Amino acid sequence: MRALPGLLAARAPTPRLLLLLQCLLATARPSSADGSAPDLPFTSLPLREEMMANNFSWESHNISLTEHSSMPVEKNITLERPSNVNLTCQFTTSGDLNAVNVTWKKDSEQLENNYLVSATGSTLYTQYRFTIINSKQMGSYSCFFREEKEQRGTFNFKVPELHGKNKPLISYVGDSTVLTCKCQNCFPLNWTWYSTNGSIKVPVGVQMNKYVINGTYANETKLKITQLLEEDGGSYWCHALFQVGESEEHIELVVLSYLVPLKPFLAIVAEVVLLVAAILLCEKYTQKEKKHSDEGKEFEQTEQLKSDDSNGIENNVPRHRKNMRGRERMDDGSRTMNLFPAAAVSQLSTVGSHCFILQWLSLLNFICLICVVS
Amino acid sequence: MPASQRKHRRGGFSHRCLPTPQTAMTPPAGPPDGGWGWVAAAAFAVNGLSYGLLRSLGLAFPDLAEHFDRSAQDTAWISALALAVQQAASPVGSALSTRWGARPVVMVGGVLASLGFVFSAFARSLLHLYLGLGLLAGSGWALVFAPALGTLSRYFSRRRVLAVGLALTGNGASSLLLAPALQLLLDTFGWRGALLLLGAITLHLTPCGALLLPLALPGDPPAPPRSPLAALGLGLFTRRAFSIFALGTALVGGGYFVPYVHLAPHALDRGLGGYGAALVVAVAAVGDAGARLVCGWLADQGWVPLPRLLAVFGALTGLGLWVVGLVPVVGGEESWGGPLLAAAVAYGLSAGSYAPLVFGVLPGLVGIGGVVQATGLVMMLMSLGGLLGPPLSGFLRDETGDFTTSFLVSGSMILSGSFIYIGLPKALPSCGPASPPATPPPERGELLPAPQAVLLSPGGPRSTLDTTC
Repeated sequence: MRALPGLLAARAPTPRLLLLLQCLLATARPSSADGSAPDLPFTSLPLREEMMANNFSWESHNISLTEHSSMPVEKNITLERPSNVNLTCQFTTSGDLNAVNVTWKKDSEQLENNYLVSATGSTLYTQYRFTIINSKQMGSYSCFFREEKEQRGTFNFKVPELHGKNKPLISYVGDSTVLTCKCQNCFPLNWTWYSTNGSIKVPVGVQMNKYVINGTYANETKLKITQLLEEDGGSYWCHALFQVGESEEHIELVVLSYLVPLKPFLAIVAEVVLLVAAILLCEKYTQKEKKHSDEGKEFEQTEQLKSDDSNGIENNVPRHRKNMRGRERMDDGSRTMNLFPAAAVSQLSTVGSHCFILQWLSLLNFICLICVVS
Repeated sequence: MPASQRKHRRGGFSHRCLPTPQTAMTPPAGPPDGGWGWVAAAAFAVNGLSYGLLRSLGLAFPDLAEHFDRSAQDTAWISALALAVQQAASPVGSALSTRWGARPVVMVGGVLASLGFVFSAFARSLLHLYLGLGLLAGSGWALVFAPALGTLSRYFSRRRVLAVGLALTGNGASSLLLAPALQLLLDTFGWRGALLLLGAITLHLTPCGALLLPLALPGDPPAPPRSPLAALGLGLFTRRAFSIFALGTALVGGGYFVPYVHLAPHALDRGLGGYGAALVVAVAAVGDAGARLVCGWLADQGWVPLPRLLAVFGALTGLGLWVVGLVPVVGGEESWGGPLLAAAVAYGLSAGSYAPLVFGVLPGLVGIGGVVQATGLVMMLMSLGGLLGPPLSGFLRDETGDFTTSFLVSGSMILSGSFIYIGLPKALPSCGPASPPATPPPERGELLPAPQAVLLSPGGPRSTLDTTC
């Protein structure tokens, strides 16, 4: 982040010497009216040999704390290749800076060397440098400032996360499917796929024509499985290998046979057939009723049929005469009928009560089928 | 006795099973206007199972794109193709139903659409999906929509526009129900099982068809058309009013469908977050659905002649699109997009009012006998615009960087179409004494000289225009 002014000679100090330097700096604190820049007035440590010799990139990160911080402050850092790391914590307090005890820990073990403490005004700075080469150095690094309360800042180093699919992938017997794993902006050294047999992870071998592993870009991998069988269902794991660790993700594959959706399909088709039959039968029934009541009936009864006729069994205007009656019927019908089928149904029920029941039975049947399906 | 008096009339095939409607001797009574209200429910379900299902189908496209390893654009062609086939082939559906009656045609259409879904459930490539969903299901829907809606118009006179508006809300209601249901099916059965079960659900179009009882009305041609060409009803174009209407509708169609495709991306472009854009679309949809009912009721009161209402709401829709396009950049991701939301509501209300009027005005223009054919032709005209409008709008957006120009152009097309509607009879207020408002909208066709005009002979009578001053 910021370049630190180097004051000490480039000698490799022993750990004890470093501690001595720390104490000296601590005692020198009150008197040093340090005129250097407010950000990081460090007398920087000489770089250790390995840091000088390698050509890894540098990662610098900073956390600020105050005495009033109520929660520990965390910073998540994604790392995929070996790097030199420079961590800095700064602590602002109104109390006595001398009374503050500064420590660094990796995960839960205390770190002994390689960290510096310095102060300017009312802010205390501490810096820790190290190199991450492999997965052993990954983890959580924390700086602690202890006054009466302890304030803590944590740097979490993690490998990049993989993204698969958060829902199960559903496929059918005989079909082929592609399982994809990808991560953002990462270049793993190696991708591997595992399938689980029970709780054992078995690597997916590249069997002829069954499994094909490839990926168009370096940050993704695709496993194509052809000629699916029901046993191929289950959990699959994709595994990415980095120099500094490993990352994996889980994808669920479900293989169904065609019978599974076929049952609800046939149920619904049967219900549709029933509905159509109910409608056609209902119509035939009310027309038969019409025919019976038409033949040689008196006017009063046809008056009553007025209201049913307007239910659309217009078809049954009696053949001969009654052109006039037809018109009257229509006018009355249009006055008494309204738009909604509920009223139409209730009108139907006065004559075709069986028909009414037929229709409601078919609706009930439909509802039952839905329950069965779900 | 009934057999001897049976006349060969429209729907002769289905009448072998049913007793014939009224005899040749007596002219049949007018539309029952509310009797057999199941027709409205049937049309509602038809609309829901065709357009509503098509809208929700987009939920399955990401799964399809992933499975066949194709881009999202390729899968979007499925619904574009289905919509195009459905609208362009509508005249075929109406022609067939003129010959054989609406009922068998709709039932066959339901089976065809269902077969399309079942076939596509077993698809091995995206081409199979284009054929199954796009071509087969689209043709099935084409056979279903125009006959159902046309028959609905025939069943009502005083409450016609309300009935049509009610039926047209089917597509909004169905999107609300089918979208989560489809997601559930996709999660449980995968896309193959979901398509199979959608085929079963689509089969419900067949009972809807069964509900469309044949109806004979004055104004029906005495014999079904002899040739397929006559059945298409192209003779309707000889009427001046219908031609004006056709031209106006074709123009309006060019702009009408743009918001269906581009309202959400426009909201996102204007800086709203995902939920803000979804709110804008939802608000427009709710306004649209509500306005269909309200305008339907309003139109039926007869206070304003239908062609005038059509021109007014068409113009308002065009202006609404202008406002949507011109609304300034709203706040950041967090804002709820006040101005854009208001513009979307205005657009939704006017577009929703326009929709039932398009179908409601037809009986006045062509007479109740030609309504089914006219419906088919109108769908085909709108499809021309629907095919050109959204791609043009997308092209303009790519050229200019945002959707302002697209919406301005779409709004202008709708406005010009509405301007053409002014040429319709009764669109302009007449200087003479107004006709009494309580009469039901004319279902015999104010332009037809006599109720029994034969519509399909090429030398049909010319329409007489209402003279205005």
